[in-house]
Amino acid sequence: MNWVSYGPNSLLFRFAEQVGEKALSRQRGIAMDLERHPPAGLVEFVPAYTTILLVFDPKIVPEPKHAAEALLERFEAAGQARLQGTAIKEIPVRYDGEDLETLARGRSMTVEQVCELHCAPVYRVYMLGFSPGFPYLGDLDPRLHTPRLASPRVNVRAGSVAIGGGHTGIYTVDSPGGWNIIGHTPLRIFDPVRGEPNGPDDAMFWLKPGDRVRFMRVN
Amino acid sequence: MGPKVFEILEPGLGATLQDRGRPGWRRFGVPPSGAMDDHAAHWANRLLDNAPDAPVVEFLLQGAKLRALSETWIAVTGADAEASVSTWRAVRTNEDDVLQFPASRSGVWVYLAVESGFEGPRWLGSASVYARGRLGQPAASGSVLCRATNTCFELPRGVAGRVVDWHERRDYDSPPPLRVQRAPQWDLFSETDRELFFSQEWAVSSQSDRVGYRLTGRPLKPLAPILSEPVLVGSIQIPPDGQPIVTMRDGPTVGGYPKLGLVEAADVSWLSQCRPGVKVRFQLLF
Repeated sequence: MNWVSYGPNSLLFRFAEQVGEKALSRQRGIAMDLERHPPAGLVEFVPAYTTILLVFDPKIVPEPKHAAEALLERFEAAGQARLQGTAIKEIPVRYDGEDLETLARGRSMTVEQVCELHCAPVYRVYMLGFSPGFPYLGDLDPRLHTPRLASPRVNVRAGSVAIGGGHTGIYTVDSPGGWNIIGHTPLRIFDPVRGEPNGPDDAMFWLKPGDRVRFMRVN
Repeated sequence: MGPKVFEILEPGLGATLQDRGRPGWRRFGVPPSGAMDDHAAHWANRLLDNAPDAPVVEFLLQGAKLRALSETWIAVTGADAEASVSTWRAVRTNEDDVLQFPASRSGVWVYLAVESGFEGPRWLGSASVYARGRLGQPAASGSVLCRATNTCFELPRGVAGRVVDWHERRDYDSPPPLRVQRAPQWDLFSETDRELFFSQEWAVSSQSDRVGYRLTGRPLKPLAPILSEPVLVGSIQIPPDGQPIVTMRDGPTVGGYPKLGLVEAADVSWLSQCRPGVKVRFQLLF
């Protein structure tokens, strides 16, 4: 594990070298530890594949780098936590994406085979990012790994299920995007008006880091 | 809702409610948002003794037109768009006064504050509109803006007016060198490329918005993309074409472009007011 400063108020810790279940279990362990015992002056933390960013309030922690080594030690311990087995969330998908045929042809597969390979695994939500609630899911079957489009689309509609590099994800709002679209889901992965009026704000986000997900093919 | 203060006749090129943003939601993919030029937004509120996080209206460039629905104190700061009222000072409007910003002269973002602050729905603790994420909506023709009623502005006795000091007003056409600190991939860039970045003037591209400001100049040698990691506002990212993109307030929370540096928070507000074509330089701190 190591760390670097990211501007005057933030520290970026690297807790793994490679994306995967192992990195995710460390990430969840560290995130849970930060939720339970937030260090003084912590404004927010942002977990990603192999890194986690901690942002501090400069009025309380003027020089976060002095706290870095102690945090590093703490994260070494917290990162040992085991991943919890959560219920599998099912996501219905119509495999009718704009890039499905090109993607299949590029790997000398039938569309049918692509759908089967994409539906087969139980994925883990490795992180949320890019846009509100956008889940980065892994591990994708290596036979489906596909580079991003050379030039991103100006608008990808919410609900588009897509492949970018070694990951699959779901666009949660209409936005520009460079991933290969293979299908669509009617599920609202991000919905700003979901939940009780005075309920927890995070009800907007249907998926959270660490969640397990499977795609169900529908017509 | 408090008293109605303005009706939007025309929103112009863009009008949204903004405050100091919604920190704390990045890990769900929600950017901080908030006023692009927090310096000007801060002064608009301060002129009226508002709380620093009172929502203001942020206008893009020009074209907005509003009708006052009651007698009230307002303040206009930020970009020069030939406002129909005096700017950078507390101004009293009367019912049916028309407030307009017909022609953009310098800067990008105009701010309008009202006494005790505008009111708007709050999402995740903030009234800042983040349209792409459907957190709030931009103002449209016919929208009515209300104000809060927690305070009431009064000029101190014997004082004829309240204005912002001249030295706090900025010449948005000639920004000072923007201060930069190292970002996580600093060490991956060659000495030559770092020098190329800091020695030249970069032009702000017209492909700039609340998400990011693109800069054009002699390109840096791009590095291979990195594994996506968290991105802060002000990050100088170098994409495959070697032309930097500075992440702004509605920018993505994670990204895979290598980051050379981070523009100081106070200087991000300077950059935000640089219109396409304006030249900027960067200066390394430490």
